[in-house]
Amino acid sequence: MRAALRLPVGITRARGEVATSRLAPAAFLTALLVPGRADAHLVNTGFGPFYDGISHLFVTAPDLLVVAALALLAGLRGHATARGTLLAVIIAWGLGGFAGLLTAPAVVWTAITTGSFLLLGALLAADRELPVGVVIGLGALVGLIHGFLNGAESAAAGIGFVGLVGSLAAVAVLATLISAAAVSLAEGSTRVAVRVAGSWIAAIGILMLGWLFRPGA
Amino acid sequence: MAGQVAARHRARARTLSIVIALGALLAPVVATAHELDPGFLELRETTPGEYSVLWKVPLKAGRRMSLDPVFPTECSATTPVSSRPSGRGVMERWRLECPSGLAGASITIGGLERTYTDVMIRIELTEAEPLTYLVGSTNPTVVVGAEGQASQGALGYLWLGFEHILLGIDHLLFVLGLLLIVQNPWTLLNTVTAFTVAHSITLAIATLGWASAPAAPLNAAIALSILFLGPEIVRVWRGETSFTIRHPWVVAFAFGLLHGFGFASGLSTVGLPQAEIPLALLLFNLGVEAGQLFFVLLILALERAFRVLEIHWPRWAEMFPGYAVGSLGAFWFIQRTWMLLGG
Amino acid sequence: MLFRRLPILGFPPRAWTTPGRAFLLAGSGIVVLAWPLLAWAHEETGQAAGFLAGMLHPVSGLDHVLAMVAVGFWGAQLGAPALWMLPVAFPMVMAVGGMLGLMGILLPGVELGIAVSAVALGAMVLGEVKAPLGAAAALVGFFAIFHGHAHGTELPDGTSGLYYSIGFVTATGLLHAAGIGFGMIHSRPRGPAILRAAGGLVLLGGLYFLWRVMA
Repeated sequence: MRAALRLPVGITRARGEVATSRLAPAAFLTALLVPGRADAHLVNTGFGPFYDGISHLFVTAPDLLVVAALALLAGLRGHATARGTLLAVIIAWGLGGFAGLLTAPAVVWTAITTGSFLLLGALLAADRELPVGVVIGLGALVGLIHGFLNGAESAAAGIGFVGLVGSLAAVAVLATLISAAAVSLAEGSTRVAVRVAGSWIAAIGILMLGWLFRPGA
Repeated sequence: MAGQVAARHRARARTLSIVIALGALLAPVVATAHELDPGFLELRETTPGEYSVLWKVPLKAGRRMSLDPVFPTECSATTPVSSRPSGRGVMERWRLECPSGLAGASITIGGLERTYTDVMIRIELTEAEPLTYLVGSTNPTVVVGAEGQASQGALGYLWLGFEHILLGIDHLLFVLGLLLIVQNPWTLLNTVTAFTVAHSITLAIATLGWASAPAAPLNAAIALSILFLGPEIVRVWRGETSFTIRHPWVVAFAFGLLHGFGFASGLSTVGLPQAEIPLALLLFNLGVEAGQLFFVLLILALERAFRVLEIHWPRWAEMFPGYAVGSLGAFWFIQRTWMLLGG
Repeated sequence: MLFRRLPILGFPPRAWTTPGRAFLLAGSGIVVLAWPLLAWAHEETGQAAGFLAGMLHPVSGLDHVLAMVAVGFWGAQLGAPALWMLPVAFPMVMAVGGMLGLMGILLPGVELGIAVSAVALGAMVLGEVKAPLGAAAALVGFFAIFHGHAHGTELPDGTSGLYYSIGFVTATGLLHAAGIGFGMIHSRPRGPAILRAAGGLVLLGGLYFLWRVMA
């Protein structure tokens, strides 16, 4: 709150000598509006954790691959399935994330996260007519798992709820863009491009399994 | 009939108030976010083992950030630190003595890991090419001249520019406002170009030190530029027209001049040799353009995606981006004018 | 549609124009690809390094490159459905080979297998052999195991396994794409002859590597 009021110029003024009388009406005006935690720490930019949450998603490759594979899989089944899956994965990711944030377990489920994108990639490469409910259910399942881990990591990284919201926003944007691309590729000869992408994702998962279970690992 | 109209008005007023409240909740957080400028550390070897240090620390909420360079233990300051305010930071100078030299030594910016600020480090050793590093919260340490940790040189400025606009919600909202106004691809192209040209001009002027804008009035004026777009967006919705709607590029150009001064705060060229300033300026500007283009593409691609997926938003959600532009602009304008008047 | 009020995009829904579709694909492609790459480049150099190492590895061995590109040539000659079966199946089968390698399960004569694969695939392209789909897939899959195994065991220590794998699979896929892309000349006049000649070059390269392994 202080941050919102103080002039960012003039070092002499900024040395904490702002007259209280002048501060009071302004404080009253903004007190209602400013989330209390925004400036709990001087170094905390408040909005920073949101960006940290976004970048966290993009440096967590299993999450990226899962979101991509799921969005492509849903997109191949047409726009209605894509919509349902998007909704399911976003809600599940949020719920799972919140649970992870609260419990904050120090777990690394690399085998499970690898398995999830491996499975989705393989389904995508196979391009079988999966029932809509199965696709949406898969979306909810991986959303819960990956969201849970994401929430736990947000808690561990100290970016908390805002960080989780950031990664959730990134998941939503990414999944929307990718499934829309898949919907428009799903008709005709371009469909195979999506299947090739699935094959790449599955291949990464298979290699990763080898890496996880290599001798001495 | 009249009742229906009144009900619709009430609904709209309620939506508007929710949006304003939401915006207001976010705004202070956002407003402080962008007033984080990068730091700058320069070490110039005057005689072997002796360095003149220039340390420009950015302000956070008007206060010197608690960032300090940590040198190897054998180094010691031989003069007291002379400190003076400079623009949006504090400039500190002192002399440092490191008997075995700084080559291969590691320098850490203490406190950086707790911030979202970047620090540009420039090291001029005698008989060596100057080294430039960009450090941030995830990598606050450099090893001078080490293999593998390549001196990023001026390329660091490219990233700095890219990051600066993407972290600058005020600039992004202005661009969003323009996107909500333009009517066709041709107008989009010339509007974005006008904004780019205008902010490039003032960014250059400010960086080369020919003119500068004081931060407080500048921030208020930038907020005003965002607020200005709000009513224009509503006019577009109502199918009305105005000078801005017919010629958005003129507005983009005029306000772009202001935003350019704002971008200049992200580019610190203090202590850079004159010869390197144009290159740093060019790369920083290119970074800003890349970031702006990325944002425009993201918004347009998202809109396309919603259309392909046939996602139908409720009416209030459709209006949200427009109201966010207007109400955040209004909020910032009031807030920053208040600050300007000495609040 | 959240941004329906972007008047610039105000065409009616489902009025699909090719530029619109191209725009969606290009725009989201740029956003989706540029974003993580930028994040990796800036945040953690270890990840970018692992990715780059994985990207460079398949490209660094010419025997591997020849075989990958030949898969694309052959697919182009065979036409659909082999054209798209091979790039879908190959990465996964190759990854199985890589998994075996990583787990330390030995496979005899890996280097020999790779050299022979370049010779065999080169010969198929040179002869424009119209193998049935099953046979083609089996042949390519058999060699894919060797390629994966070689690169799995060559994975350097201290690199992030996941990012290395991403780079490795991406580079391999791009090599296929290059092969298929070049193979598209098959539909042009004199294209088939050029493609067969390219197959001959692959065969010669394969023989050279075979000689090196045997010598």
